[in-house]
Amino acid sequence: MDTLFLARLQFATTTSIHFLFVAVTLGLVTLLVGLQTASVITNKPVYERLTRFWGQLYVINYVLGIATGIVMEFQFGLNWSGLSRYVGNVFGAPLAIETLVAFFLESTFLGMWIFGWHRLRRGVHLALLWGVAITAYASAFWIMVANSWLQNPVGYEVRDGVAHLTDFSALLDNPTLHMALGHVVTAALLVGGMLMAAVSAWHLLRRTPDFALHRKGLRIGLVTSAVAIFFVQGFGFAQFFAIGDVQPTKFGDDPAAAPLIADWTARFGPGDYTPPALANVGLGFMILIGFTLGLLWLMLPLLWRDWVIRLRVPLWILQFALPLPFVAMILGWIAREVGRQPWAAYGLLPVDQAVSPVSPWLMLASLIGFSLLLGALAVTNWVLLARHAARGAHDPALGRQPDQPPADPRPEPAFA
Amino acid sequence: MELAWYALLGLFFASYLVLGGYDYGVGLLLARGTDPARRRAALNAVGPFFLGNEVWLVAAVGILFGAFPVLEGELLSGFYPAVCGALTGVVLVTAGVQLRSRPAGQRARAWWDRVVVVGSVLAALGWGAVLAGLLQGVPLHADGHVAGVTHLFTPFVAAAGLAVVALVALHGATFLTLRLPTADAAPVGRLAARLVPVALTAVGAATVLGLLSADVRAAAGQPVAGILLLSLLVTALLAARVALARRRPGLAFAATCAALALPVALVGATIWPHALVSTIEPSASLTVTEAAASTPTLRLLGWLTLPLLPALLGFQAMCWWVFRGRTDGRAPVYW
Repeated sequence: MDTLFLARLQFATTTSIHFLFVAVTLGLVTLLVGLQTASVITNKPVYERLTRFWGQLYVINYVLGIATGIVMEFQFGLNWSGLSRYVGNVFGAPLAIETLVAFFLESTFLGMWIFGWHRLRRGVHLALLWGVAITAYASAFWIMVANSWLQNPVGYEVRDGVAHLTDFSALLDNPTLHMALGHVVTAALLVGGMLMAAVSAWHLLRRTPDFALHRKGLRIGLVTSAVAIFFVQGFGFAQFFAIGDVQPTKFGDDPAAAPLIADWTARFGPGDYTPPALANVGLGFMILIGFTLGLLWLMLPLLWRDWVIRLRVPLWILQFALPLPFVAMILGWIAREVGRQPWAAYGLLPVDQAVSPVSPWLMLASLIGFSLLLGALAVTNWVLLARHAARGAHDPALGRQPDQPPADPRPEPAFA
Repeated sequence: MELAWYALLGLFFASYLVLGGYDYGVGLLLARGTDPARRRAALNAVGPFFLGNEVWLVAAVGILFGAFPVLEGELLSGFYPAVCGALTGVVLVTAGVQLRSRPAGQRARAWWDRVVVVGSVLAALGWGAVLAGLLQGVPLHADGHVAGVTHLFTPFVAAAGLAVVALVALHGATFLTLRLPTADAAPVGRLAARLVPVALTAVGAATVLGLLSADVRAAAGQPVAGILLLSLLVTALLAARVALARRRPGLAFAATCAALALPVALVGATIWPHALVSTIEPSASLTVTEAAASTPTLRLLGWLTLPLLPALLGFQAMCWWVFRGRTDGRAPVYW
């Protein structure tokens, strides 16, 4: 057994699980900002009810997602102490900024938002949600700055074997940053939109009460995902230029890779400097799913006169297509991260120097422990989301009047 | 500049122990009695603050990573079991508190409440063990890496872990005395008063075991500061006892807050100027300056984050202010 392999497996598992939560959080918060803003401006009850219904699903996902995020943050120190030792001066900065200026405020705002219904003025309450969304995007930005630095280290110099920061603006100007950030953020929006469309489709298919509310949800979700997939594809393909320039080994078979590998062999000794084929597999299937989801555009004309609902087939399709964006996202991260192998920081720090010198048994124990824990959280999250989504917008706990007892928790049977 | 960042790190971690401490304390106290109404009231009391409390831990680790990268790697991997335990606890509490109210059935809720209790114990034990481990030193080799994890399994670390559990329970009970409706606060106040001697005994036991441990005596660079801060801790506990007896829950809560924050100051001051003491090779010990990131990184972090500190504190203060006072029938319910 090999500590390095186990540590990599643990990183892959926790990151993948964490990102399932992140995407839903980032996607839904954007939609929620729109819904609550519409509610405050138009004063229409449907928007407030949509905000409470989707807000409840958002909060469930957010709070369980924090738990996975905390594990992610600690994992760097626990399993990858070499990363902090050799490149922590540079790589640590964006992570520290993320926790302090983004996540710290995001959670503080969200706590006030959850408990602030009927207590704060509507404008203040809405501003809190805007605060949550802005800090969530700031979070995504700084995390991507950190990740892009691992893909393409810039703005540093090595003294005594340790990287020191020389030019922070280079980190913000990293060619592997901008298109990837756009790709990730719009992919999250796609996930949020498809989740909203699929849940609404479920209700419309079963003819539950609240037709008008779920119809609105379906339309918002469908339009959001159609717009998002367009940008996901655009930002996705735009990344190839940057990757070809700075990470020629990523997807193999690049003539530019040969001199780079010769240079690495001279500096780090002979070794296998091509990433596993898994990176390419991930990329291929992700692109396939991306093109399939592009067909969402075909559904937009059906919004006219509610044909999308009347035909019913589109509703079934939306429901069954829901796993696709999640799978594509994991595949995308596999392509980006596995394609970085064998480097922790590309061309600067090999993974075997970055891993902590802990015993393989300890690493195995923590791998099993955290995988079970986070896996259980993910399953719980999905069961809860499904259950609360199915319960409908009848009476979500979020934003309930404090002195009002909860209504019958079971959804009313629909005889419509 | 390293000192300022070290102080800031201590401030954030101490704030986490104070704020997260009453979350875990309230979580622990869910174990007493199974009356759903009582549990409901306790969770309502924590309610709006819960999400804002945990962020201090994440921010503390962010500062640790950004400003003290070398310390971060060795500290977390050197205390692997303690950190994993604490982390598991934090995850269980975070998930449990939110999940317990989603199902409507009392049995499912009772099950999740048990998860919260276990998580609270693990978190308190784990962070107590990390603090004790720092005070005791680690087998830090000349190559800069900590070897093995068996160094953690000593009577002192165990006693200190239990002492933090006792402190957290006391802190949680005092918080409830301050927050619950007046009628419910009295019994919990009596419980808090009974927990003070327990906490004092636990702290005393940890002190005795610490004084008996050769590693702790060797690691203490500033024993006078250690003794001084320890006596402050004892004073804070006694003050909490007096304030509880005189029905001044605000003062008592201030005292237990101090009791949760002081261990961080105690550890930091006692091993000063070191941040991580080596038990096997004195020259391998890591001083605060050596552990810190290089100057450009610290300067950048300073420019980017320090102007925002007032905003961070301001929004936390806004949360405390908006939801101040005792909970009542109109308190929002979510957890």
